[in-house]
Amino acid sequence: MAYRIGVDVGGTFTDFLLRRDEGPPRAAKTPSTPADLSEGVLAGLGELAAAEGKELGLFLGEVKLIVHGTTVTTNAVLTGEVARVGLLTTRGFRDALAMRRGIREAQYDNRYTAPTPLVPRWLRLPVTERVEVSGAVRTPLDQADLDAALTRLSEAGVEAVAICFLHAWANSAHEVIAESRALAALPGAYVSRSSALLPQIRFNERVSTTVLNAAVGPVLSRYLDRLTARLGAAGFRGVLLLMQSNGGVAAPTVARAAAASTLLSGPAAAPTAGLAYAAPHGVRDFLTVDMGGTSFDVCLVRDGAAAMTAEGRIARYPFGLPALAIHTIGAGGGSIGWLDDGDLLRMGPKSAGATPGPACYGRGGTLPTCTDADLLLGSLSAERFLGGRLRLDAAAARRAVETIARPLGRSVEAAAAGMLQVIDASMAAGVRHVTVERGHDPREFLLVVGGGAGPIHAAGIAAELGLTRILVPRNSSIFCAAGLLLSDLRHDLVRTYVTPFEQADRDRLRGMVRALAADGRAALQADGVAGSQASLSFACDVRYLGQYHELPVSWLPDEAAEGDLSGVAKRFHEGHDRLYGYALPDTPLELVNVRAVALGLTEKPSLPEVRPGTAALASQGSRRVWAAEERGYLEMPVHDGERLGAGARLRGPVVVELDTTTVIVPPAWRLETDRHGSFLLERV
Amino acid sequence: MTDRSLDPVFASVLECRLKAITEEMGLTLLRTTRSPILNEARDFVTGLYGPAGEILAQSEYIPILAFALQPACRAVIDAFDGDVHPGDVFLHNDVFSGGNQNNDVAVFRPVFVDGRVVAWAATKGHQADIGGAQAGGYNPRATEVWQEALRIPPLRIIARGIVQRDVWTLLFANVRLPIVEEDIRAQIGGTVVGERGVAELYQRHGAETVERHIEYLFDAGEKRMRAELARIPEGTWVGESTVFYDGHHEGSRHLIRVTIETRGGEIRLDYTGTDPQTVGFVNAPYASSFSAILLTLLMLLDPDLPHNEGVLRPIHVHIPPGCILNAGFPAATTFGNTLAGPHSDAIFRALAPAVPERVSAGWNRMLGMTVTGMDPHRGRRYVDILFLALKGGSGALAGCDGYDHIGLINTAGGLLSQDYEMLEVHTPHRLLRHEYQPDSAGAGRWRGGLGVGTELEIDGDEVTGIVFGDGVDEEARAFGLLGGHPGSLNRIEVRTPAGEVVVPRSKDVIAIPRGSVFRQTAGGGGGYGDPRERVPGLVAADARDGLISVEAARREYGVWIDPGTLAVDEARTAALRRRQEPA
Repeated sequence: MAYRIGVDVGGTFTDFLLRRDEGPPRAAKTPSTPADLSEGVLAGLGELAAAEGKELGLFLGEVKLIVHGTTVTTNAVLTGEVARVGLLTTRGFRDALAMRRGIREAQYDNRYTAPTPLVPRWLRLPVTERVEVSGAVRTPLDQADLDAALTRLSEAGVEAVAICFLHAWANSAHEVIAESRALAALPGAYVSRSSALLPQIRFNERVSTTVLNAAVGPVLSRYLDRLTARLGAAGFRGVLLLMQSNGGVAAPTVARAAAASTLLSGPAAAPTAGLAYAAPHGVRDFLTVDMGGTSFDVCLVRDGAAAMTAEGRIARYPFGLPALAIHTIGAGGGSIGWLDDGDLLRMGPKSAGATPGPACYGRGGTLPTCTDADLLLGSLSAERFLGGRLRLDAAAARRAVETIARPLGRSVEAAAAGMLQVIDASMAAGVRHVTVERGHDPREFLLVVGGGAGPIHAAGIAAELGLTRILVPRNSSIFCAAGLLLSDLRHDLVRTYVTPFEQADRDRLRGMVRALAADGRAALQADGVAGSQASLSFACDVRYLGQYHELPVSWLPDEAAEGDLSGVAKRFHEGHDRLYGYALPDTPLELVNVRAVALGLTEKPSLPEVRPGTAALASQGSRRVWAAEERGYLEMPVHDGERLGAGARLRGPVVVELDTTTVIVPPAWRLETDRHGSFLLERV
Repeated sequence: MTDRSLDPVFASVLECRLKAITEEMGLTLLRTTRSPILNEARDFVTGLYGPAGEILAQSEYIPILAFALQPACRAVIDAFDGDVHPGDVFLHNDVFSGGNQNNDVAVFRPVFVDGRVVAWAATKGHQADIGGAQAGGYNPRATEVWQEALRIPPLRIIARGIVQRDVWTLLFANVRLPIVEEDIRAQIGGTVVGERGVAELYQRHGAETVERHIEYLFDAGEKRMRAELARIPEGTWVGESTVFYDGHHEGSRHLIRVTIETRGGEIRLDYTGTDPQTVGFVNAPYASSFSAILLTLLMLLDPDLPHNEGVLRPIHVHIPPGCILNAGFPAATTFGNTLAGPHSDAIFRALAPAVPERVSAGWNRMLGMTVTGMDPHRGRRYVDILFLALKGGSGALAGCDGYDHIGLINTAGGLLSQDYEMLEVHTPHRLLRHEYQPDSAGAGRWRGGLGVGTELEIDGDEVTGIVFGDGVDEEARAFGLLGGHPGSLNRIEVRTPAGEVVVPRSKDVIAIPRGSVFRQTAGGGGGYGDPRERVPGLVAADARDGLISVEAARREYGVWIDPGTLAVDEARTAALRRRQEPA
């Protein structure tokens, strides 16, 4: 037997999906162990081994691949428990990191403070040197200055050194010297060099990303040391891969060198999972939504490609590495309902989290949450929640919701229905953000729903937006773990060349493309990817001369090899028109960056199939459930989702119960089980 | 069924949808406008207004624009009362009929449902040019409006869906840049988005239901505003502040005086006693001053208050016509938005005794320079507002240091500094330094935000610098509060290749020879509370970071820091602080 396992470590739970050569997948969920996350990983693997009836060592010996999504670096930044970093930067510019271009995100809130810079000013050391925008050296690097700075960093006991000089994207010579001196002067320190990590124009993003990388580099290294030691000791001999923010996976050595590439990786496997689940329906345009306990993540996938951004943020620090454009809002099962001073009902962003959790968990929570409302409205079953492992306390939920029902002058049920309506409206606004606001009509997209709470609210969100198709994978609550096993190895490469198109030097472009291709192939070779499984693609960041923002445009391999930008120009005008509603064919274009993506295609397990069946055997009686659009309670038949075979059809109103989630199918909808056991909901 | 006559939940959802429509209008502008002032600096506002101009919802990216659309909307309604038709579009910028600044051009489109106007969809954005004597609109030498801009009183530009071609041509024949025409088209497009959204809402829920719940939202907004205002002790409070130099009379000073009465959940602001308007452009139109009042009050109250008609009900404003904050025809007024600095000072000072825990000390008053010239490397003309150089610090509050390098209060951190590397791509400027300015923050138990020092070489030809601002006179420092010290001064100097040092006045136009070095310090914010009560460790942390000198730590804070170790000497600090105790 050869196993592959996807392990997704979240804030509350660690999710596992086990696949084997033959037979159905196996899912598991264990509580995350924040003190040492690798502990929870091993605990879950132990559970899987037991379920397979094998001793852990024997079991792990048969695991050939573990793909790991981890929030260890994300949490380090959010909690501030990062490495002590020193920054070497061009004299005169040591404060860019702290200034963040002088933005205050909350303009009317005079108590809103800037985030504490990841390197304090006394460890942000200026070095005398200056490279021009052309790449020419204006002031040579002052070696004595550099050595003095390194001595100070060494005395301060930094664990990591970030190096970011002005215009190092145009000429990295000074940074390279500084890097080698730093490695010599501070043996064992983690060194993060901007021209290696992100050789791209825009100092603000580059310095922030380089510092983020240094801050989490030692954290990720220590975690991987612990994890690989534990896995090795327990008998694992297979391959370990890590999820990155760009939606691809990477070998541990690669991830160690660019630790920041894991920073936004938490929900990054969702689009890949969505692609696999949507494929049987011939759909390549979809939205993935993942509603967990505290947050709601949305990502747009068009023509099979997830929306990407190079302008991400984490904890308000700019982040310039390419990352999936995932929009997160504070709405989840734990979101707390409250009344403002004008007695208007609000939901979130405060959440009851895992502790105390919603009032109905019976762990001491007294505030009304979305989950409490769902229980009172009949959407959740008190007995069947989490497969019956947690019995929900309806009386506690009632007491909690009562606290807002009374001042509203409404019944408890009416207040709960209001909570549902408000949270669905705010999640719909989150979906609008990634669609309407980026020039897409949401009605053209399939809604692929993940997270435990998602399938309860999916129809409500769809109604707000006029969507007519919803897909709920059977394992929706471990959605991301499934995506991990389907992801390819990915390296993102970039070089900056700012030039008007008509002045672009073709030889220089050809040289850049050759260099990017060589770097990409070398990286894949180091991953052990066979040539036949390697794939390279190119893109250019382009704008109209004088504009401030660029648009990424694909560059076909033949054009790229020739340094020919004519196709890029055509696609830029078209793309600009589609996205922004106008094109200016007579205005000169400016090239800013050339990008390459190197993919190492992995061998992927095919989605398991379920046996055909009808709905007849799955019936489990009925219960009273609130129907939002009808504004009333309806007696809805309940079906056991685990027993719905492929092809089974149901007509709303109906409730489908699964161990880890509940699907609400309102009257205007019908449901069909596809051959992989996913539920497709369509508006009648 | 529940009683739907007044459904607070539906009201919440309606509020969310109205806000979403204005956001979608805003995103349309971000996507479709071309001037970086609009799509980079985001100097625009979108809004929905009722049939009589009531604010339904707004999305603003720069606070000074938050309440600057409504007065213009009312002007359009008054001018065309009874003569408004489906498909009409109106333009407006006139500062003497509700405009806040000449360059901010507004577009209004009526939304018709069942043959009557139910709402107005509106956008207002800062245009790259609007005619007048000086490209870009800032003309420190102007003494009347025509030297600043083309006036656009309420103007029907599209009638029943037909563009008034001759009017359109006349208008844009008086504007320098073709980009403005495109940006106005984009703004018109934004109002279409608003019209569609409102019409959908009415179709889905019915006019009667929507309008009843809009009224409910106003009431809820009013209730919240009254509750917030009731947290300010009742009384009458007076505050003053001074505006320096009108651009024509060296040493001129102009008083802003506000008398604020808080009573019964309402607030009255009366500007009787404020000095008359100036001969130059240092004047504000009413709409600009009204917006400055609102943004200052919102900073003292719950920052999450909705921006709708209801919140305005308990606020009463009287600004005597002809004073510097309500200049009369035909005054020049382009400096008006910048008067938000001294204006907010007067309000903070007035309310400091009433709500010392809410007001902030003074913010740095802006001093800025716009540069225009030829870029010899790229062979094209360029314009650059040196945003990164002008952003000083904000004032401290009880329990909270000021915000570093935030910039003028009317943008409150919404205006971004340029990226260093992109700046050198877009302009022939070579940056030499851009760092926090040590010893710039006003000392206090909570210190002011830090100012910033900028140095750059100007490698352009035929370069003109247009200077506008304040904060160069001793008394114009960001003021300290409750024993806090003032922040540092603003200063601009230009050192020419010949070695001459030019220090422009705060409103000035200067020629800059190629190869000159521009130096600017933007001052820090004012401190709050007695500096001798600041935790010595915080002072030492700033000293270790090089943000305060050991001398200033001793002098201002009474904290003795060992110059070698940069550690606090506890005994000497205690002695020093005892000695500095007032007798």
